[in-house]
Parts: sequence; C-alpha cells; structure tokens
Amino acid sequence: MKKLSILALALLLFGCQEEGVLTQTPNSTTVNPNATLRYFGDFYPTAGIQVEGGVRIYQTPGGFQLELNGFSISSGPDLKVYLSQSDTPTNFVNLGNLTGQTVYSIPNAVNLSNYSHVLIHCQQYNHLFAIAPLQEN
Amino acid sequence: MKKVISIVAMIVPLLMAQGQGCSDAGICSVGKSFENDSLVFKNSLEWGSQYAKGDADVSYVAHFLSYTKRFNARFAFSAKVTLSTATGSFGTRTQFGDAILVGNYHFKPQKKQHWSALLGLKFPFTASNLKINGFSLPLDYQSSLGTIDAFLGVNWRVQRWDFNTVWQIPLVNLNKNSYFREYGGTNDFVSTNLFERQPDALVKVSYTQPIPNSRWSIKPNLIAIYHLGEDSFENIFGQREKIQGSSGLTVNANVNVNYVFNTSHQIDLALASPFVVRDVRPDGLTRSLVINLVYQYSF
Repeated sequence: MKKLSILALALLLFGCQEEGVLTQTPNSTTVNPNATLRYFGDFYPTAGIQVEGGVRIYQTPGGFQLELNGFSISSGPDLKVYLSQSDTPTNFVNLGNLTGQTVYSIPNAVNLSNYSHVLIHCQQYNHLFAIAPLQEN
Repeated sequence: MKKVISIVAMIVPLLMAQGQGCSDAGICSVGKSFENDSLVFKNSLEWGSQYAKGDADVSYVAHFLSYTKRFNARFAFSAKVTLSTATGSFGTRTQFGDAILVGNYHFKPQKKQHWSALLGLKFPFTASNLKINGFSLPLDYQSSLGTIDAFLGVNWRVQRWDFNTVWQIPLVNLNKNSYFREYGGTNDFVSTNLFERQPDALVKVSYTQPIPNSRWSIKPNLIAIYHLGEDSFENIFGQREKIQGSSGLTVNANVNVNYVFNTSHQIDLALASPFVVRDVRPDGLTRSLVINLVYQYSF
C-alpha cells in the first residue's frame, strides 16, 4: 500500500510537468550566402560519447558565423557550443545551446585568432562531450 | 492555551508562505493569516492558488499544498510543495517549484503580546534551467530559484498588530540557468546564466480588523524586502559579472480578506501589488499584481 501511494504521488508529480510550445524565434538559422570559409575542423568525442560531423566558421559582411555540418552527438541534458582557446572549457565563448539549429553567430567582440577549438560541453554537469580543433582555410 | 495554539496556527502558515523564495511582491502576497480562536486542531491542510502578472508579458498561475502539524502549544512543523506555470512570449512552462519545511516555536505568552520564532529550509525541485524545445528560459519562467535556502524569522504580536521579520539566506546554489540576453531574441530579460543570488531580509507589518457580527476579517499589511547585494551571472566569456541594480528595496501593499465557515474550514483571499521595486529583478520575481486564494482545512 505504501509503495502504491509513493507510485501514485510520483505519477502525480511528473504528470503536472508541462513543456509547452516555443513561441520565441531563435537567432540566425542560415549561413549568409556571401560568406567566406575561414576555419574548419572535425569533431572527436570524449570517453563514452559518440559524435559525427564537423564545424565551419564563415566570415560574413555582418561578422562571423559558426556552422555545424553533418553533425550528430549523444544526447545530453544541457549541451552548449563553445569557441575555446584550448581543448578544455577554460577560456571560451559560450555561443549558446546545442539545439536543432546548426548556425551560431559569433559576437563581434571575439578575436577569432585567439580561439583554436570548438567544444560541445554540458554546462549543467560540467562534462565535455566533443572537441573540434580548428584549421585555417 | 487555545489562544496560544491559534496564534501558532496563524503564524506558521503566514511565515512559511513568505519563505517561498520571497524576494518580491508575488510570493510574499501569499502571506496570510487565519485568525480564529476556535482553531485548536493539531493538523491542518492548505491548498492555495494564485494568479499573477509579471514583467514583459509573463503571467503566472501557481498552486501550493501544505500540511501543518502542531505538536503542542509551543511547537509546530509545516511542509509545503509549490507548483507554478509561467506563460509569455517564450511559451508556457509548468513545473514543481520548491519543498519548504518550517519549524515554528512559540514563546510563553506575555500580557497582550506574543513572540514566536521560525527556522526553515527550502529545497528546489529544479536547477532553474527549464527549457522549451532546448531553448533556455529566463528566470521569470522558472518555477524555482534553484537554491537551497534557510529561513530565520521572528514574529511579535501586540493585540491586533503583527510584526514579522524573516531572513532568507541561500545556503547552496544549485542554479544552472543558461539564459543569455544575447541569444534570447528579446531585451525584456537580463542574462542569468549560472545565476547566483544574494540573501533577502523581509519586514512585514499587519493589522487585523475583524468585522463585527460576522465571520469576516480584513488584514491590510505592508511588506518590505531588502535584497542584500547584487546578484551575478556568468557571461558568454565565462566570467562572473554582477547585475547592477539588482540589490535594494521592494515594498508591497497587501490586503487579506478571511472568511471562517466553521472551526475546520476557512478561506483567505489576498491581493498584492508592489509600489517600490528594485531597478533590475533578474530573479524573475516581478509580479506586479497578485491574486491569491487559500483554503484551509483543520482536523
């Protein structure tokens, strides 16, 4: 009886959670057609993670854009795209959540020559998922 | 003895309600006072529902369920669970907020005045990083501040006047919010990535006016909350940044109307609105108008 009560309570708790429909429009979703490829790289995973695909960084009239191409990765709870100065998330620029979007705008204040890697990092649990060393085109 | 127990019954839910992440008008307006000298029961259940308007176009529907056990004339214990739905331009998000545990100790009554003290803890059900379709949401949409808090409070009652003070101190920061204004597509909310909040100090003054020959009473009150320091967040470069204007004073006007059906059943309606607010309220506690209805069953 006690177990049934706990189960019923758990069902009630989770039943009350709701994630509605996103009504806000995310930022940029496509690479500017006038863009020039400046950097590229391929991802490799950390232990226990699967990843495929690579990254390209384009220069556009309005600034730089980062594109994930042919990209897939093991699911994680709070994955972010970092532009990083090394293969660890110590000095980085957080470009935002890893979602269905594949293109990320890089803030104009960023000096790209200081950044050598793109990382996929779980911020909530501080766990690095994948690393892509950048090469200049 | 009955009066002592009824005062404990009054103070516990009042202060416990204030302890729900209390930093601004919305949450604090939950504060209420069931005043009925016939309340001598050892147990009570409460269900509360609230509608509130927040900043930008965010609106809230929140509920709580609480249980209070009075062990004796001096000591009572309460447990409370909150649930909140936020709706706005980002969408709708519903989630359980916090579990709040409060112990209340009532000192030996003196002539026409009574003192009590409380000690409480708040445990969040979330890390304040609820998303919609993977899109990070500002704290205005989060059901909890994502911190384990301690509450320390004192109540002084003189005839029909009540004076309460409560300190809300974040003990453990579990907040993993990841909202950036830069990527949010709107300037309505400040960045709160890996938000860290400061303590609050609350002072509440209220006066209870029974309506003669009726079951009604009315209780206007003022709630002043001082946010004791600037909150901070981690910017897109991974550096911690203070949020200027996030400290300071909020003052709320609140009125409770209470109706007693009988010794076991009563309801309390509260209306609240702030008239002094902080320059910036990154914690999302931005309720501008709150309507709160609470039903209490004692047994």
